[in-house]
Amino acid sequence: MAKYGMVIDLHKCVGCSGCSIACKNENNVDTGMFWSHYFHETKGTFPNVNYQYVPTLCNHCEDAACVRVCPTGAMYKDENGLTLHDPDKCIGCKSCYQACPYGAINFNKNKPHRRWEENAAIIEGGTATGKEVQERTGQELPYYNADRAFTYEGIRSKGIVEKCTFCDHRVKDGLKPYCVESCPADARTFGDLDDPNSEINKVLAEYSSRVLKPDKGTKPRVFYVRG
Amino acid sequence: MGISRRSFIKASAITGAAAAGVAANKPILTAFSEAENQNKTAESGKWVGSTCQGCTSWCAVQVYVENGRAIKVRGNPNSKANHGKICPRPHLAIQQLYDPDRIKVPMKRTNPEKGRDVDPKFVPISWEEAIDTITDKMMELRNNHETHKFALFRGRYTGAADVFYKALPTIFGSPNNISHSAICAEAEKLGPFVTEAYWDYRDYDLEHTRYMLMWSTDPVASNRQVPHAISMFGKVLDQAKVAVIDPRLSSTASKADEWLPVVPGQDGALISAIAHVMLKEGLWYKEFIGDFIEGENLFANGGVVDEKSFKENKTYGLVKWWNLELKDRTPEWAADLAGVPTEQIYRVARDFAEAAPRAISWLAPGSAMQVRGGYNSMGAHALNALVGSIENIGGTNRGEKVPMGSIPELDAYMDEIASKGKKYEKIDQRGRIQFPVFAKGKLHGGVVTNNVADAILNEDPYDLKMAIGYWNNFVFSCTGAQRWEKAMEKLPFYVHITVNPAEMTQYADIVLPANHQLFERWGVQKSKQNMTAYMSILQPSVEPLWDTKTDETEVAWLIAESLAKKGFTNLYDYYKNEFKDPETGQKPNDEKEFDLFVTKFLSRDVWDPSAEKKGDQINSWEEFVELGVWNTKRIGYKKHWDEGFDTATTKFEFYSETLKGFLDEHAKGHNTTIDKVMEAMKYEARGDRAFIPHYEEPVRHGDEKEFPLIFSEHRSRLNREGRSANTTWYQEFKDADPGDEKWDDVLKINPVDCKKYGVKSGDRIRVTSVQGSIEVSVKEWEGTRPGVAIKCYGQGHWAYGSIATMDYQKKMPRGGNNNEILPCDYEHISGSTARHGGIARIKIEKL
Repeated sequence: MAKYGMVIDLHKCVGCSGCSIACKNENNVDTGMFWSHYFHETKGTFPNVNYQYVPTLCNHCEDAACVRVCPTGAMYKDENGLTLHDPDKCIGCKSCYQACPYGAINFNKNKPHRRWEENAAIIEGGTATGKEVQERTGQELPYYNADRAFTYEGIRSKGIVEKCTFCDHRVKDGLKPYCVESCPADARTFGDLDDPNSEINKVLAEYSSRVLKPDKGTKPRVFYVRG
Repeated sequence: MGISRRSFIKASAITGAAAAGVAANKPILTAFSEAENQNKTAESGKWVGSTCQGCTSWCAVQVYVENGRAIKVRGNPNSKANHGKICPRPHLAIQQLYDPDRIKVPMKRTNPEKGRDVDPKFVPISWEEAIDTITDKMMELRNNHETHKFALFRGRYTGAADVFYKALPTIFGSPNNISHSAICAEAEKLGPFVTEAYWDYRDYDLEHTRYMLMWSTDPVASNRQVPHAISMFGKVLDQAKVAVIDPRLSSTASKADEWLPVVPGQDGALISAIAHVMLKEGLWYKEFIGDFIEGENLFANGGVVDEKSFKENKTYGLVKWWNLELKDRTPEWAADLAGVPTEQIYRVARDFAEAAPRAISWLAPGSAMQVRGGYNSMGAHALNALVGSIENIGGTNRGEKVPMGSIPELDAYMDEIASKGKKYEKIDQRGRIQFPVFAKGKLHGGVVTNNVADAILNEDPYDLKMAIGYWNNFVFSCTGAQRWEKAMEKLPFYVHITVNPAEMTQYADIVLPANHQLFERWGVQKSKQNMTAYMSILQPSVEPLWDTKTDETEVAWLIAESLAKKGFTNLYDYYKNEFKDPETGQKPNDEKEFDLFVTKFLSRDVWDPSAEKKGDQINSWEEFVELGVWNTKRIGYKKHWDEGFDTATTKFEFYSETLKGFLDEHAKGHNTTIDKVMEAMKYEARGDRAFIPHYEEPVRHGDEKEFPLIFSEHRSRLNREGRSANTTWYQEFKDADPGDEKWDDVLKINPVDCKKYGVKSGDRIRVTSVQGSIEVSVKEWEGTRPGVAIKCYGQGHWAYGSIATMDYQKKMPRGGNNNEILPCDYEHISGSTARHGGIARIKIEKL
């Protein structure tokens, strides 16, 4: 039993988007959907301009709005404090999608990864097609990461929502979430908020932290320091 | 946690359905079985070492492989240079590997007419037919004694390049191996060369630095040691000040302490003003530079100083620099030209000097790749000397030597035709009065890549008849791109070896599909970052997806073999005899063995147990393959302080006798004076000013009245050198470049100018320069200097694939290629293509 959370150090973060690309790679997330994302703001006027890039992801809120509104219990808090989603119970009503103050939930309006089903080649007979790449790799998504399917649908189906799970499929085996692992700036720290000796508590003790939209009262467990 | 049984069953069902849907052709790879997976732990597949060549950092990476598929990429933890880190680019490579628009088989053109809007009517052919057609053309040139009318164009390359790029044209009999180097960053190397006789990019001691002065450098996003810079940047910001000179609020500028939004091309004014302040206020680093004999700072008066009054230590020509240039270059003078406040110039100069010697003046192409940028390169590097940061702690350094092998001597394999052919003037016209292009310490040793288009069009020095190009796309990547379209229409026979169909493929007669460098081939590469140089391997982590081959080795072998069958055996003999497996002594029997043996041959000194190694101790080929990287020892400080530099004076030259020597030799070769050479090169300086760093007015193409805005371009943190735009991840994350938009190509204009020209974000506009027009979207962006319009390079592909190109069949680009509005011009000393410094003025019209 743990209470998992994450701290993002905005002073170290250089806004490279590597976390978000790596997340798509790890979690087989389709085009147009983002489990890990960012917002950026440009403030001031030339030459006194400030550009800030803030990485975002599911906040795994203690009092998660998505869990509160889910009519079927598909969205739930697990014993480690993760906000998880059970595709079998999901009826695709999008209540969670609307309730999340952070826009962290995605809805599969269409069957995902349809690019790989396309049959038309740009040069007939000379270039490949999406379908042929599927055939060569034997996969619906050529770079499909099978690890994802340990704890969730490997690829989520049409008509249901999907979101960040803090890479619970990796965490269960003692690995860090992939956004943490792949951040070249080491801007992210993941760990157990209940463990006084955890790295995350060290960072939170060293710097004052904030969460996004605290007024929503959801008690996010993704914290930001130095920015 | 754990896995719910129901979701497990559902997951299996979905994958099963997908497999059933693709059952018509049996997959080459075993379809993943969920059942087998149940007891596995995450990442239990294999991580295989390779090298990312998405930019010139050339990081050691590892590919995660499971059941024969490459799934993801990470930094190689065995590397002491990028130490397990990667930037976003290697992730994109996965989507390149599985890009549905990749060329899967060789093709030939069936429509003899060539042009941007002409369908080549490619049809698939066998490798045999493709190679046979190529060697027929080559034999025709040999039989007609026209081997010099053959060229080999190289874009990006591995350490094995010379096997193809050098050996093939030489033994065949052509002087024309034309690399892309001069469109990359050669002018950046010029400064360190003329001052301290070091021709290469530099390394930087980020860990210990206290000040970073960044000349358009954006290392958290692009160009040089990106992952190391990203990983260190938080610490750098904690313990150092960072000042960025850039017309654009770059990623690095957005994190910096100071942003100096210079008017494009006016970098030189800032360099001179900063040096002026440092000398006038006595802030130079005396241990390196020396001091006035009487102790009093005579620069303080602002007038001419007697050279004899100053005793220099490790440098040469400081007082000359002051007298010829710096004495009048006050911040007050520079402020108006550069568009940077006087106080800021003083502050930056003083803070930079105060941090000495732990202060870096870091040069990048933005300030160097300008028509008159050679002296910016020299000046920015001279600032390093003023703070004594040359090879000093927290400063700038060279790389330790990486013992990469060279290809064996070629002379013995050159016959009479080859020797004759090789003596012709090179097609890029290097060596003519306007092109001294010295590189690597050799006059005329560089290349004038972009001039080849004009040479082809003008048939000067002769009519090029055939070219093979690999890993290149000059039609897209060279400024004045329309010239390349015309040149390629004119070139009678072109072979393009490429992963994706590219703009240059449009003009090909034969198209050969290439292996992806990161996943499908052998090779080695060397580079440096974090004060450590290294050799990194490229190896096939997966079987090639399609009927593709490795450009530099396998294709070279097949051509040699085919030429041999047609009676010209020299190239084949060279490959066969000279590239034996260093372990067994066995000669290669086919292209695949050749690919592997070449790699073992060139990397031998880092893994052969008998070779002495100044770095990691690796004792077998297998161990090298497993580790994926060999690291040198961390470089030491002050090596050339003690040994002296390899310059004409053995000192660090503010007044470059080295440059003078080269220009003099070049001028004499043309029976003229250095002043005439300077004039031919579009430089303003005459006399002694040609040998010191100095300010020159930037060159702009286009009249200010007709073209009111200065165009400035930059690189994307997601560009894999212009090759990644066909991935969805590139497009989806394009807005990670500050000011840019997803799936679009925007001209970033200050809101003040948007109002002035009646445009707003999202408007479609036509952008026109003297070179041509492109159509893009407007973005109102405070991070652009007023009077300037800024756009990222990378979009605007009109023939690259279904993502990069909006409509491939109609050749409708997504956005517009900067190189279609940037006119062709040069930094002539190095032969570099000048794309920065506001070379183009533009006008915008709302569509």
